[in-house]
Amino acid sequence: MGLTVSQTEWKKGSAEMLILSLIEARPRHGYEISKLIEQRSGGAVRFHVASLYPLLYRLEQRGWIQGRWVEKADQRRRRYYRLTRQGRRILAEQLRGWREFVAGINRITEAENA
Amino acid sequence: MPEWKPEILRRLAPLNLAPTREAEIADELSQHLEDCYQALLASGQSEDVAFRTALDELKGEDLLARGLKRIERNFCREPIAPGKASGNLFEGIVQDVRYAVRMLMKSPGFTAVALLTLALGIGANAAIFTIVDAVLLRPLPFKDPSRLVILSESFKSLGFPEVPGSPPDIAVIERTQKAFTSLGAFRNKGFNLSGGGEPEHITAARVSASVFPMLGIQPLLGRTYSEQEDKPGTNVAVLGYGLWQRRYAGRPDIIGQVVGLDRIPYTVIGVMPKNFQFPLPGPKHNDEPAELWIPMAFTPDELQGWGDEYNDSVLARLKPGVTFKEAQADAALVTAEIKRVYPPAMVKIFNGVTPAIGLTPLHEAVTGSVETLLLVLMGAVGLVLLIACANVATLLLSRAASRFKEIAIRTALGASRMRLIRQMLTEGLVLALAGGVLGILIAFWGTSGLLSLVPSSLALPHSASLGGWVLAFVVTVSCLTAVVFGIVPALQVSSVHMQGSLRESGGSGTPTRARHRVQGFFVTAEFALATILLIGAGLLLRSFSKLLETSPGFRPDHLLTLSVPLSFEGYSKAAQVRQFYQQAVERIATLPGVKSVAASNDLPLAGTDSEILQVEGRQGSTPLVSVTWTLGDYFSTMGIPLLEGRIFTPEDRIGSQPVALINQETAKLVWPGEDVLGKRLGHPFPHMMRTVVGMVGDVNDGPLGSKPAPHFYLAYLQLPDDYVMYNNVIVPLNIVVRTSTDPASLTSAVVAQIHSLDPQLAVANIRTMAQEMASSVAAPKFNTFVLGLFAFLALFLAAIGIYGVLAYSVAQQLHEIGIRMALGAQRRDVMRLILIRGARLALGGLAVGSLAALGLTRMMSSLLYSISASDPLTFAGVATVLLAVALLACYIPARRAMRVDPMLALRYE
Repeated sequence: MGLTVSQTEWKKGSAEMLILSLIEARPRHGYEISKLIEQRSGGAVRFHVASLYPLLYRLEQRGWIQGRWVEKADQRRRRYYRLTRQGRRILAEQLRGWREFVAGINRITEAENA
Repeated sequence: MPEWKPEILRRLAPLNLAPTREAEIADELSQHLEDCYQALLASGQSEDVAFRTALDELKGEDLLARGLKRIERNFCREPIAPGKASGNLFEGIVQDVRYAVRMLMKSPGFTAVALLTLALGIGANAAIFTIVDAVLLRPLPFKDPSRLVILSESFKSLGFPEVPGSPPDIAVIERTQKAFTSLGAFRNKGFNLSGGGEPEHITAARVSASVFPMLGIQPLLGRTYSEQEDKPGTNVAVLGYGLWQRRYAGRPDIIGQVVGLDRIPYTVIGVMPKNFQFPLPGPKHNDEPAELWIPMAFTPDELQGWGDEYNDSVLARLKPGVTFKEAQADAALVTAEIKRVYPPAMVKIFNGVTPAIGLTPLHEAVTGSVETLLLVLMGAVGLVLLIACANVATLLLSRAASRFKEIAIRTALGASRMRLIRQMLTEGLVLALAGGVLGILIAFWGTSGLLSLVPSSLALPHSASLGGWVLAFVVTVSCLTAVVFGIVPALQVSSVHMQGSLRESGGSGTPTRARHRVQGFFVTAEFALATILLIGAGLLLRSFSKLLETSPGFRPDHLLTLSVPLSFEGYSKAAQVRQFYQQAVERIATLPGVKSVAASNDLPLAGTDSEILQVEGRQGSTPLVSVTWTLGDYFSTMGIPLLEGRIFTPEDRIGSQPVALINQETAKLVWPGEDVLGKRLGHPFPHMMRTVVGMVGDVNDGPLGSKPAPHFYLAYLQLPDDYVMYNNVIVPLNIVVRTSTDPASLTSAVVAQIHSLDPQLAVANIRTMAQEMASSVAAPKFNTFVLGLFAFLALFLAAIGIYGVLAYSVAQQLHEIGIRMALGAQRRDVMRLILIRGARLALGGLAVGSLAALGLTRMMSSLLYSISASDPLTFAGVATVLLAVALLACYIPARRAMRVDPMLALRYE
């Protein structure tokens, strides 16, 4: 899946935010997270294993998310990640920053196109 | 289903992760790949395509490792098996501690014994260190105390290496010295305090005005006196906090009020703060904390009294930048100046000697008298702690034996040797720190208990708080202890070869012989240490019993003594003074229960004033001789035997031939081997020769056991007026009463007789001679008790140690014993086997300990009386006691071994 350079840069900056927001409502495991990103972006954004898990472990190490092995009936055990209190705060900050950024962009482009 | 893990592990390999972490990642990632694979299959892909697409998620060979590299380096996770290898030395400390606590709680018996042993060892150390901290380490409670020094004088060739200052000499020092910013004198003095209640006798001090600013202590109320007020005739006084509270109920209006000191009015100008103590206890002279201070105010007579009296301690503060050495050099210049200005007549009397000025740091002067004792005690408790360590180490070793399987399993799971050692040390540390906490409790009670026993003759505080230093000390000692007792078992256990222990696992799974050797070493060491302590305590005990056997030279039973100081205000003429004491003696003699009464200016055991005398027909002077005045039938009342000639009679009074008595020491010193009766001896100033009419036995002037001093006895009624009353100060007499009943029961009757003569008088120091004797030996008794206590503790711990080791080894050797007995060994033989092993260990310790004690007890020579530090009887006695205790401790396990039923023992294995 060929990403352009600009796409790579974009992904690095916002990947953390994507993951955090995906587990905000409930804990999810790695495969679920990667599938959701792919589906919701309509296939535009994809994480493969070699980049998703290092990112998850980094977020876990920072204390933003926490992984736990959970065994559900009729399923193999999986590691579910949930947002920690600190992660919740970081996510709120990042979302605010993102919205301000988008609003700023919009104001500029709208003025130009008006 | 495809195998994902090998693919993942291969990519993780370069990271060298901890095995548990590696497995965890592989689990998670393979689950992900499996999910992908299943989804691809579900979407209709072939197995082959699905497999390759899923595997593509790992993106080449090294992307995963690169992505994880930085993150995983810091990623620490508790290993599942304790003791498992890990990259970080400090990883899992919390886990180690938790594990250690769990292990300790699993064997409560072992833990309780180890804890108690450590708590006793650490507690004893903390208690003694608290006292050492309070006395030796803490600075004195004055401003910049390290700059304060005490100046003293010495006449080395006359046998007086250190005496306090004399007023004319102090004046020379003040004039000449260049090393001190200020200098002042102080001297203890007793007063009858009147006003504000019954007259009472108090300990006060004459103190130069410069002393208070030098100490840097501000009064709580009012002020201290100025240099201008430090002159004869200015009668001002500063009260101590205790006296102010006790006698004046802490009333602030005490300032400006007049109190009577020996009936002379003094105006109170200040009150010192609560914790102010001066003079400090400890130095050789002027060491009684005063309750009231008045100006030193040297009189012109005092300032001209060259060679007259050496009673004033001199305190000085070093100038900034001046070192102690430089001040000593300056003192040499002062000494030269004193030599230059000394009156030639005096120099002649002193056999051509003038005093030399020396200095001692105040701290050293204060703590010098107890330093040896404290260091010996510190050493003693140090030994106790080592014994405790050795004990716990043997316990740990025995216990470790039962853990070899556990260790082997952990080694099999990948625990490294370092990690195992750390784990064992952590257990030791947890144990030691818990012991430390208990030890602090023991120290808390121990310190106050110990200090409550301190006799007043020892310059030790009556309370000391456990400060930060002590806590730091306990923590340090606990950690060191943990290392000392933990390292050997840790090293031994960790060196277990897994296969070896598995092979041996039919039995205890232990390399038995090596362990026995190490345990044997520890027990021997314990006995060696206990030997040192027991010999130290034994020496003190022997010395103390010798001291108690010593005759003080008089009969101390049935004797009541009291001091009756008179003041110049009521008794301004020598005749009045003589009459008062004579009447007092006569009136007390009429009381029922009184056998005889006498009086003297000094009493045995309490120290005397020494003077230089001249022998008729000889050049120069005698060494210093104690001069004692007696009134009434002194010698028979005291029970001092007359050896030659006669004692004083009522006819020896002013106007009759001047006579004197001497004791054996004086005879030996002045007329060795000659007949002393009829010889003449006397004071150089004013020149007065007296004929010796009798010789009496020696008495102890200082504490019991001190060398008897030469004595020169004079009849009080024959003394010139200026002896009875010197510089308007009346030398007080002590009254001694020999009774036929309990002397203490006559106290009130005796005091009533004195008050019948003068109701205003305060009677001081009412004591029985038996009490005096007891307090004279209180210090050595205390030393003996404390060291004895620690020695007992040491013996107890060593006994537990040898018992523990033998009991354990018997338990381990049941099988072997069973075989021996099955093969025909007698019960007696078995018992002998065990006893011999115990005796061998104890004897080894005894030999090493005795050798070490020979060297170490020399340190305490100054605490011993009349025996040498290598007293053979003590060494032999200690050896007997130790061996007996060791055999007793071995007997219990030996008896158990003897009763082994061969069949049971064999079946047991």
